[in-house]
Amino acid sequence: MAGVAGFLYAERMRDAIESFDFGDAMLDASAALEAAGREGLTNWIKDNPTTSAITIFVLDERGHDILDRQVPFGLMRVFRRFREHRRPRQFDDRDPRNLRRSRPHPQLVGADGSVYTFLVSPSRASHSVWTTADARWLLFVIALLVSGIVSWFLATAISGPVRKLRHATVALAGGDLDVRIAESVGKRRDELGMLGRDFDSMAENLQRAATRQIELSRNISHELRSPLARMRVAVELAKQKHGDMPEFERLDSEAERLDALIGQILSYTKLDASPDTDPEPIDLADLIKEVVENVNYECKAEGIDGISVVARIDASPITPGHVDAMISAIENIVRNAVHHSPPESEVKIHLSQDDENALIDVRDSGPGVDDEDLRRLFEPFFRTRESAESKNARGTGLGLAIAKRAVGVNGGTISARNHPDGGLLVRISLPL
Amino acid sequence: MYILMTDTPKTARVLLIDDDQELGLMLSDFLATDRLHITVCNTGEEGVDSFAANDFDLLILDIMLPGMSGLDVLKKIRQRSQVPIIMLTARGDDIDRIIGLEFGADDYLPKPFNPRELLARIKAILRRAQPQDTDTRHWKLGGIEVDTRTHRAAVDGTPMQLTGTEFEILKSLLETPGEVVSKEQLSERALGRRLLPYDRSIDTHISNLRGKLERAGNKNETIQNQRGVGYLLIPGN
Repeated sequence: MAGVAGFLYAERMRDAIESFDFGDAMLDASAALEAAGREGLTNWIKDNPTTSAITIFVLDERGHDILDRQVPFGLMRVFRRFREHRRPRQFDDRDPRNLRRSRPHPQLVGADGSVYTFLVSPSRASHSVWTTADARWLLFVIALLVSGIVSWFLATAISGPVRKLRHATVALAGGDLDVRIAESVGKRRDELGMLGRDFDSMAENLQRAATRQIELSRNISHELRSPLARMRVAVELAKQKHGDMPEFERLDSEAERLDALIGQILSYTKLDASPDTDPEPIDLADLIKEVVENVNYECKAEGIDGISVVARIDASPITPGHVDAMISAIENIVRNAVHHSPPESEVKIHLSQDDENALIDVRDSGPGVDDEDLRRLFEPFFRTRESAESKNARGTGLGLAIAKRAVGVNGGTISARNHPDGGLLVRISLPL
Repeated sequence: MYILMTDTPKTARVLLIDDDQELGLMLSDFLATDRLHITVCNTGEEGVDSFAANDFDLLILDIMLPGMSGLDVLKKIRQRSQVPIIMLTARGDDIDRIIGLEFGADDYLPKPFNPRELLARIKAILRRAQPQDTDTRHWKLGGIEVDTRTHRAAVDGTPMQLTGTEFEILKSLLETPGEVVSKEQLSERALGRRLLPYDRSIDTHISNLRGKLERAGNKNETIQNQRGVGYLLIPGN
């Protein structure tokens, strides 16, 4: 608004200057100069009111106004440039836009040879109302207000979309490939709109690539299952024909292992997609009791002797979540703890809660994990040096990775550290 | 239709619907030694036709069929028969498993399975249909009646179409009205197998059974869930 007002004012001034015709005035001035020299010219200027919109300055060779008026700075610059016959190079006289600038300033030469240059400037009188001190303050305040409002609109128009873009980028980096911003930003026709649309197509490509990868590993796993199913029947048929042989048992147990691994890969890739069902309230104490019972049963069935899982329930939190994912998370952590426990030891589960979170701690009495390995513990197929060296490594290498994803699906976090009294402590923290 | 086995064990006829032809052939080889006669169909349509044309004692149905899906086959067959059905599901695909049980499948087995496990399941389901001579044959509570000899169940004379599993569960609950029957016991009796970890199949069968009792007009007796323990049938006033 301030800009528009300023522009209109400048236009009016320019029109006044340009419409001013030197013709007749110069004839009078010339006559005055010839009659009474510099004094005559001075009197002519004083007597000649010209128009209210413009003021005529008459400058001698040294650049002084003959009435000793203060010459506006801009006008002095024009005069100096004109006197030195120099014009800024970038102005092309043929360009109609520059005609005004290249208009020659009229000059008169006195009898004594002194040169007087005539310059026109918008009249100060025309805005004299604004020159009183109070009015200036008022003008200043209005200008501040107007520019403030304009800036505020500009800032929100620019920073709003930038903020949205930033949020989207952070979300994308955090793994949310569904994020799109064309809805809110992409309709703009400026660079921000373009950036928004570019962002969306990038997110789209990323998502497609990620989906392809998930599809691929899911398909591979599915395809592996058919031959595996046939293999297991073939082993049974061989047993029927040739009787039990230790090699058959080995084939069977290896097939079972492959099956478990494929199952784990499938659950891992499946946890990447958003869950099919809505979250429901989960009684964590009940769930933990069930997991403890089942893992203990598993231990007996697999011949893992002497290791028992015990739970201490100090709270009865109900958290929203997906039961299967929650079971999978807790079970995988407990199984991992069992696999790394020395014989005749306990795996301890502790359920508690603070103001905001339900906390599930699972602690084994194994050797713990090197500090630099702690960070990578939840990566798929990561093996600590110690477990890579041990020959009878159990587990698929995906248990903790699945646990991490499953906890993530339920909106919680998972962390691991070495307990000061020995053993690894894995903590699940779930918002209440 | 429900299977009735005579005292002398005869060959049971099993229909296997699975798109893996080789697996089907090997399985029929493997199961043949246990007096099971297997017919293999590779598509859902073929399976439905074959089922309509022949008498089968048991159906093994792969849920992941190309073309007509396993769930569609299940729905079609349940419309006219209460034959025991074991579904083969993808491990970890809970949705298929849950929907399958809701559509009336008796039991499920994740694929790839241990063939001996499949054999055990088949035998368990076939065995449960053989009434023992010492068994009480008739159970009644309020309007609910169950006859193990004719394998009929009714509410106030209105017959109910129960699957074998639902029938066994209802019978178990009727034997001890007002007393809790654990989920383990229900699984052993109705499915002939141990309750698996996080196994919700009994809960699904119970919910199907509740629906059928209600639709048959039962208002007084209710099947109640005792959390973490099991289920009980509460007699009406």
